[in-house]
Amino acid sequence: MIGALAVKAVEDIGNVGRFGRFVHQAIVTSVRSCARPKTYPLIWTQMNLIGVRSVPVIMITGAFVGMTLAVQAYDQLAGMGLEEHLGVLINISVVRELGPVLAAVMLAGRIGGALTAELGTMNVTEQIDAVRSMGTDPIRYLVAPRVLACLLLTPFLIIYADLMGVVGGALVSFLHLGINSRAYWNFSAHGVEMWDVSIGVVKGFFFGAAIALISCYKGFTCKEGAHGVGQACTEAFVASFISILALDFALAVIFKAIYATFWPIRSLVA
Amino acid sequence: MKEGNEKNKMPVGDGDGIIVLKDVTKKFGDNVVLEDISLSIDKGKTTVVIGPSGCGKTVLVKHLIVLLRPTSGEVYFKGRRIDNLSEDELNKIRTRYGFLFQGGALFDSLSVAENIIFPIRQHYKEIDWKKVEDVVQAKLAMVGLEGFQNYYPANLSGGQRKRVALARAIALNPEVILYDEPTTGLDPIRADIINELILKLQRELHETTVVVTHDMTSAYKIADRIIMLHNGRIIADGDAEHIRNHPHPTVQQFISGQVSEDDLAVLRMSGTISQTQFLPRDFQE
Repeated sequence: MIGALAVKAVEDIGNVGRFGRFVHQAIVTSVRSCARPKTYPLIWTQMNLIGVRSVPVIMITGAFVGMTLAVQAYDQLAGMGLEEHLGVLINISVVRELGPVLAAVMLAGRIGGALTAELGTMNVTEQIDAVRSMGTDPIRYLVAPRVLACLLLTPFLIIYADLMGVVGGALVSFLHLGINSRAYWNFSAHGVEMWDVSIGVVKGFFFGAAIALISCYKGFTCKEGAHGVGQACTEAFVASFISILALDFALAVIFKAIYATFWPIRSLVA
Repeated sequence: MKEGNEKNKMPVGDGDGIIVLKDVTKKFGDNVVLEDISLSIDKGKTTVVIGPSGCGKTVLVKHLIVLLRPTSGEVYFKGRRIDNLSEDELNKIRTRYGFLFQGGALFDSLSVAENIIFPIRQHYKEIDWKKVEDVVQAKLAMVGLEGFQNYYPANLSGGQRKRVALARAIALNPEVILYDEPTTGLDPIRADIINELILKLQRELHETTVVVTHDMTSAYKIADRIIMLHNGRIIADGDAEHIRNHPHPTVQQFISGQVSEDDLAVLRMSGTISQTQFLPRDFQE
């Protein structure tokens, strides 16, 4: 029993080490790819596959988040006679937390699964070895464009999710719950700062990079056969999901510290 | 019986062969796949590696291009040690190889022409697209697939896929072409087309050829030299005649394609088919 645990622990440490090395290679290669015009067409292709085609599903996710928040929060606020503050609650929740996190989870399912399945299939059919055999670095050809596309487009997709969350919440509030639109927007404008929107968008860079790196790593290391590819996809999603939540917590702590330190200074500058 | 390792008599590691393996051992965990292999691949010749499934043939051929690194031992290309190079340095060396993978390993998302252009696009700074188009046409003509430029791998048969993969493997005019099971999964006629192609390329390009196969018809037809692997060791090495008359029982059993008495005994002990077969009544409610 203890022996088995020790073996598992050593195996896990080895996996963390391999993932760390992969992340290091991927980041270094991605940075170099930015200065290599030959890579741009590959990045554009991935941007189309990863970003453009995700827009509808991200917008739907954002809209339902806003709409559901409106319905759920109305009763609590109405009980205290604060229903006109509904906009603040919906919009701050959407732009700071729920929009970025749920959009990233949706992307982990849509993009992460596709990346792992594609690279995993390439791995088991020796296509990655074929890339290497022709003197090309598979990290540069396959991973860097995907990482850069995810990194650059996830924040934009989060903006779409935020936008649709705000619109969805507002529509339900006005049309279904009968909230006065003028009061709704006034309270929202006072309650939601640019800072709140910014941190949601900045989280997108981290979430996008985490999804791409985890999914590509799982694809590169997937075991043979349909079961191997399927298992890699599941592991990629679970690992991405947990990473998104962990990063969200870590970033919340960091942004809070930054806000407390620097945000008050803006009044001196402004 | 302890099977001997018929080590190559040629000196290794001093640049005699174009590719030299010196005391190469490869382990995956506790599983020893190659054990103390020393081998020199002759320049401009066709070397065929034969052996039963799972004996380490593919692992061996992947060591020749350092797609796998040895657990211990050394690999040389043209007298230069390459198994300890970084991936960046190895990538430059690998452009001098062509590798035909068992399943072709064509990129599904790229057309036939794009597959063949792939290595050219990766390694040439200035690309004259008219010239590249001519090269693609010429390479496809060499493998008998003129006019297939716009097809996708999914629309090709197994044999056609291997021929496209071969066209891609020779796109950079390599000095060494490695073939991993080039005839596996093909009917005898398609397999013979591949054999003829290997001979044709060898005649026209004079490159060094290494073929991994368990197809003895193919081996006898194309080989200047045949090496037999068994349990990760070289047990026979010589020309076709040498292999045909080799005294080692495992070699004779393999080249004649006969099952051993031990294997038959296992089959006999496993019972009859009727004992393990479901009958229609087993499925009735």
